[in-house]
Parts: sequence; C-alpha cells; structure tokens
Amino acid sequence: MSYQTLLDAVIKGDIKTATEETLKAVDAGGNAQDILDQGLIEAMNIVGDKFSKGAMFVPQMLRSAKTMQECVEALKPHFQENAMTTKGKIVIGTVKGDLHDIGKNLVRMMLEGAGFSIIDLGVDVPPEVFVDKIKEAKADVLGMSALLSTTMPSMTKTIKALVDSGLRDTVKVIVGGAPVTRKYAEDIGADSYAPDAGSAVLEAKKLLNIS
Amino acid sequence: MEPGPIPTFQPRLKVLNRRQALAIHTAALEILEKIGIKMEHAECLEMLDAAGGSVFDKDWIRLPAYLAEEAIRSAPRQIALYDQHGHKTMPLVDENSFYGTGSDTTFTLDLETGERRRCVLADTGNFAKLVDGLENISFAMSMGNPEDVSNVDYIYVYAFAEMVKNTNKPIVFIADRGEDIAKIHEIACMVAGGEDRLRQKPFLLNYSEAISPLRFPAHVMDRLLFCARKGIPICLPSGSNAGGGAPVTLAGAMAMGIAENLAGLIVHQLAGKGSPFLFGPNVSALDMKSAVVSYGCPEWSLTQAALADMRDEIYGLPIWSFAGASDSKVVDAQAGAEAMFSIITAMLSRCNLIHDNGYLEYGSTSSLEMVTMANEWVAMARFFTHGIPVNESTLALDALERVKNAGPQAFFLMDDHTFENFEQALFLPKLLDRSRYDTWEDEGSKDLYTRSNEAAKRILDEHQVTPKDDGVLKEIDDLLNAL
Repeated sequence: MSYQTLLDAVIKGDIKTATEETLKAVDAGGNAQDILDQGLIEAMNIVGDKFSKGAMFVPQMLRSAKTMQECVEALKPHFQENAMTTKGKIVIGTVKGDLHDIGKNLVRMMLEGAGFSIIDLGVDVPPEVFVDKIKEAKADVLGMSALLSTTMPSMTKTIKALVDSGLRDTVKVIVGGAPVTRKYAEDIGADSYAPDAGSAVLEAKKLLNIS
Repeated sequence: MEPGPIPTFQPRLKVLNRRQALAIHTAALEILEKIGIKMEHAECLEMLDAAGGSVFDKDWIRLPAYLAEEAIRSAPRQIALYDQHGHKTMPLVDENSFYGTGSDTTFTLDLETGERRRCVLADTGNFAKLVDGLENISFAMSMGNPEDVSNVDYIYVYAFAEMVKNTNKPIVFIADRGEDIAKIHEIACMVAGGEDRLRQKPFLLNYSEAISPLRFPAHVMDRLLFCARKGIPICLPSGSNAGGGAPVTLAGAMAMGIAENLAGLIVHQLAGKGSPFLFGPNVSALDMKSAVVSYGCPEWSLTQAALADMRDEIYGLPIWSFAGASDSKVVDAQAGAEAMFSIITAMLSRCNLIHDNGYLEYGSTSSLEMVTMANEWVAMARFFTHGIPVNESTLALDALERVKNAGPQAFFLMDDHTFENFEQALFLPKLLDRSRYDTWEDEGSKDLYTRSNEAAKRILDEHQVTPKDDGVLKEIDDLLNAL
C-alpha cells in the first residue's frame, strides 16, 4: 500500500487531508500498525530530517507533529486486538529549580512524532519524582532539560538518585538545554547529550538500538 | 533683543504613532482585566485581591485597569543610580541612555586562548574591572554564572561581592530568592555605609523575571517585595519573546509583556508606594529554526523603540532595554553588525538602561573583547545622536576667509580653528582602524578582534580600581565565609 498522499499531508501539516487519508487506508484494509509505522512515523522521520537540515521552521514541524497526533487518535480504535506498539517509553522533564519548558516541549513533540510514548513530568521536577515515575512506568529513557546553569546540578542529583534506587542500569539518560555540553553530560554520567530536539530523537533511537 | 542661539536638533527615532501606542496599552489593560495573571505568591495574591482584583481558579487573578493606572502614577518618573562613591552617575529619566554589560552567561571567551569555556568567578571580576575602566560603559552586571563558587545556592551573592571588589560603577544584579537578595542587600549596605545611605543613594538595581505567559512564581515575587520595601530599584521584565513566550506578532507580544510588567508594578507599588520601578518587557523574537531567543534580531530593537514611544505617550517611567549583543558564536562581522545595530537604535529611540553589551551566542557566551568594542560603538552612537551644532564658530566663515587670504599653501589642517575645534567637531576612533595600509601591516595586520583583545588585556593590566576600605572588604569576606 502506498502512503504517499498521507506522507505529504503530514509533512504539509494538512490535518484534514491526513486524517481522511488515515481512515481511507484503514477502510482499504490496511493494518493499523503499518499505517502508523510506514505512514505517520515515516512522515515524521522526513519532517525531523528536513528540520535538522534547516529546511523547515519550528511552527511547521510542530504542525506536522500535531497532524500526526490527530491521525493517531483516528487510528487508535483500529488497534483492538493487539495494542499499539511504541518505540519505547520516555520520561521527560525540566529539572528541579528550573521553570523553563519551551525546549523540553519541543523535544517531547519530536519524540512523540518519532513513535515514542512520552510521560512529561513538566517543570521543576525533583529527583525523587523522576525516580518514582521511571520505576512505575518501567521507562526505557529519561530525558532531563535545564535552561539555567544554576539548575544543572539537579541533573547530577537525579542521576545519583537513580543509582541509589538501583534503577540506573534499567534506564538510559539523555540531557540537554542551553548551558549543557557534551562534556558536562559525560562528567555527570549521563548516557547521551542532545543539543536540540532533532538530535534528541536520534540519540534516543541510538540508545535503544532502533534504526 | 538679539536673537538666541540656534537650538541643535538631536536625531531621534519614533516607530509608533499615538493611536498605536494607546491601542497596545488598552490591549495590555484588557489582558489584566479579562484574562488575568497567575500569581503563585500567596501574600501578593491576597494583596491584589484586597486592592480590588478578583481571584479565580485558585491562584489566577483579574486586575481592574484602575490598579494599573494608579501604580503608573505612584511610581517615580526618575530613578537616579549612583556610583559606589555616592555620585549620581545614572539619572534614568527622559532621554538619558546608559550602556552596561549583561548577566548569567554560561560560557565566556577566554582572553588568552580565545576558547569558549565555562565562566568562573574571576571572569565576573574581570568584566567588572573592564567596565570600571571603559568610559562609555556605565554599569556592571555579572556577565557569568561562575562554576567555581563554594556554595551554588548563593552564586549570585558571590558574583555581587566580586563585582563590588572590582568596580565602583553602579551594579545591576541578579538574585534567586528572598534569602540571597537579603545577603546582597547586606553587602550593598556595607559598601554604602548603612541602609539609610543606600536608600538615599542606591548604586544597585535588581533584574528579575516573571515567566511568560502571565506567570508570577513565588521566589520571583519574594525578590520584588524585598526591593519594594527596601527601596532598591528593580525591573521585572518577562520573557515575552515573539513566538515563544508570547504571540508571534510584535503588537501582541508587546501587549502581553506590558500587561505582565504592569501586574508586577501593581504589586510593587502596593508593597512600597513610590519605590523605584524600571519599566519594560523583553520583547525579542524566538528564532523559528533553532528556538533560541535572539539577541541580534531587529525585532527586539524595534519593540524597545516602540516601548520608548509608549513611555513618552503614556507611562512616563524610565525603561529597561538591551543592546550590543549578538547571536554569533564568535567575534566576527555578524557580531559587529548586530551589536552596532542595537546600540545605535537604542540610543536613537531614547532607551534608558541598556544592558547585555558584550553578549555572544544569544546570551550564552560573554566576551571581554565585545564589551571593549561596544565601548567604542557607544561613542560613535553618541557622536551621531548629538547632532550638528550650528553657530558662528561652527559655520567658521572666519576660518574660511583666513585660509583663502593666506595664499595657495594654506589649508584648513594648519588653521587655528581646526586646532581649537577638532576634538569636539569630529569623532576620533580609538579601536576602529583608519591607518594607512603600510602602517596597518607594520603593526601586525591586526583585525578588530585582535585589537580589542589587546585593549581589554591592557585595561585589566593597567587600570586601577579605587579600592574599598579594608574594613568593608573584611565585612564582605566574613559574610561570604559564613554562607
């Protein structure tokens, strides 16, 4: 089955056409997981690629992500027998003391677009809340963000809390935000560093061995 | 009666007409009245409620327009900032403009290696000392969040003390919460010789931020209340950058940013009627590719020019603004173009307190060289905005006649009129190079970055900052050691 019209509609951010195309594919007997993987997620891969090359602006990328989410909603009822499989569970949040969330929200949208299931804990998240949620959700990845250099130490504290609770080996840690550097990520024992939303997706895939 | 002298027209810039200014102001009042703000500080919420606001959804509150109008009327029209010796060096009023550095960068360009590295406390000291030695940079900010302080909870106290030790110019400072701002105030009192003297002749101003859209966190309001009660001048912009924290259209971003500023001003005047409040949101643009808040964009210069027009039409309060910054990662042509663009437009549009001079990388990196360059660019802008004095001496018909009568060998360069007037009549660059090619080559073919680097090093090496009394320094160190 060709999903070209669906792909184009998601890339363009045309919610109406994309939703229609999704339902059309279902009516034509398409498998819901295939429509998700080969249509919607594939479209968002292209969007992510274009965005990271500077060929797309943020509002266009977000509109594509919103289009994709609308399509997923339309697709959900058709997953009756086997539940939708996601690429992995990611807990994400801005660390304690920091109230900034634009960057973190961009990362969330991009990860959702790439097919991950996201638990967003919001801003000012204390280490123990990260730990509890990771345990409860059996998360594969933790993404932490900070805008202020004064709140970066909260990242270290969270990683330490993961170690103390015995969860460190069960979850991969990605950090990012304006003051964070690759070296800082290495110093505090994170698994990966993502300078922007596009690379957060690539890093998450790399950590979970997803192509 | 003889005719008076010809007044000098000083070129200035206007970007809004009165109807535009009033429409944005009206929209700001409508935001406060209809949409409301989220006030997360219990005492402030009660204060606003008692003053006539109406609380909804727990900590949201709508504020009637008259509260804003009253606050605008009771806030002082002039904020006089003094240097640390008690001289009034920054009367923030009318069209007066003063340039200074910025705060909180994570990185700085190392003066020796040029490498971008994390800021340390000594950098804050160096920036303050450089500011002290530059004639057109009027105030200091920390220019860095040092990574080497012994207790990160008091990072802003260490930064403030470091500035006090390295400059006697006014200081614009950051704090985190009620606790550390009280420590900073203690240090300021030590320097000024007591709380009353500091209140009379403040040498400091606090920069705090609400969070767009419409959110006022408790720890921010603790600082606002502290400043209102102690008479420490404060400004409370929010991050109402177009497309990120605020609507993407500049009028909407301004209306929201001004609404946020008015909300802060209302609380401030309720807590300390007549306390000094520097007006102004930060309406920059969120870059639509990188999602960074731009420091080199024309939008920010345009919205602060618009705010200056609104000040003249409506608010009458001195305003907060930015200039001399860039999104470039290095000191290059982009950095020069962006920094100069904002420096000249900030002055032309009559902004008062103009911070962030010397920023690179959208405010993430600071550069001593950039501050040194900004010093020269401010001088260029001052020369331009001063205009062309027209009188008998400047028209110089006498000089022309003398040169004409002196024969074919005469020229203006050797005339007395030139000797007597050239230093005022012309702009004499110090860093910008106009030397002949061979001279420039003999001097080592240095570009502006290199020359600024050398100038910055020379100032740090040679400039003497008048030291504080040993007693004061000991008191400050005792306070720091007890943190």
